[in-house]
This record gives sequence, structure tokens and C-alpha cells, in this order.
Amino acid sequence: MGGVHDMGGSPAGPIDRVQHEVEDWERHADAINGALGAKGLQSTDQHRRAIESLEDYRDLSYYERWVAATEKLLVEKGVLTSDEIDERAAEIERRWNGP
Amino acid sequence: MTFEPGDWVRVLPAEKPGHVRTPGYLKGKAGWIESFIGAFPNPEDLAYGLSGLPERPLYRVGFSQADLWDGYTGPVEDYLYADIYEHWLEPERGTT
Repeated sequence: MGGVHDMGGSPAGPIDRVQHEVEDWERHADAINGALGAKGLQSTDQHRRAIESLEDYRDLSYYERWVAATEKLLVEKGVLTSDEIDERAAEIERRWNGP
Repeated sequence: MTFEPGDWVRVLPAEKPGHVRTPGYLKGKAGWIESFIGAFPNPEDLAYGLSGLPERPLYRVGFSQADLWDGYTGPVEDYLYADIYEHWLEPERGTT
């Protein structure tokens, strides 16, 4: 058996072909990955490996996997800590919600 | 470069932990070398921050869909092409 992502050819139901609009946070996820790659902090192969190792892989959407894997890699490499990421996310959420 | 276009090969049925790009449904299956793509750092090592060197030859390998799926009822000329690194291939004898 391969990894959780290695599901090609597995029994499955019909494909959901409904398009969804790309949301802002998904664009940000993509942009952050590009920036981290440009700075040499992350590579596509590392990111794929991190995605495949997510315990909740099957419960996450495409870009949710991207975000979770990016956090995992940055923590693994010691670039950021989970606490720093959580604090920053909470700060942004407060700002988003307004006074 | 070990293989030439037209050579028959079989994908190793190996189980390897970690980041593997070879799809499970092709393991143990026979196909033919369609083309040589180039040599690239090994993604199985790059995934862990290693250099991936020496570069590994990558081939486009053709498979008959009927060889991949039990009870496949599509046209016999239905093929599937996958990019497979040389270290996942062995020469296939007995298929012409």
C-alpha cells in the first residue's frame, strides 16, 4: 500500500465536476507557497511529502492540505513555531472582525 | 540510460516508505518505454531536503489499459502513459 494520496484506481463513486470559485484565502495559500519557494524555504517535493503525511488528509480540501502542509514544514524547519502561527492567525482574525 | 524506446519493462512491485511518485496501481505491471524524458534529482530524496543526486533517468512508460484493470471493456488501443524513474523499472522478458 502506498500513501493515503496514492488512491488512483481505487473504487470510487462519480466524480464531482462542479466548479467552485477560488476563494481569497486559497489565492493567499498559493502565493505564500510561491514566496516560500522563491526564498528557498520550501520545495514542491517537500510540500508534497508534507501533504501526504497529514493525518487528516481525507478530511481536508485541496488548499486546506496546502496550508496544513506548509505550516508543518515551517515548524519542522524551525522557521516558525506553531504558537507563532496561531498567535498571528488570531491577530488577523481580530483585525478582520473589526473593533 | 538503460532502456530504449520500445523496450518492455515491468514496474517493481516494491513497497517503499516515504514520498514515492510511482503510482500503486502500476506496481508489478508491464509496459513499454515510450520515450526518455531526461535525468532529474530523485524526488524521493528531495522530499526530505536532500540533494536528490545523482540524477535519475526518467522515462515515459506506456501501458495497455486492459493490462491495468480487471474486466476492462474499453478498446484495446486504450493506453495509459506515466512518467516512471529508472530505479522503479526492471527489464521485462517474455513479452514481445
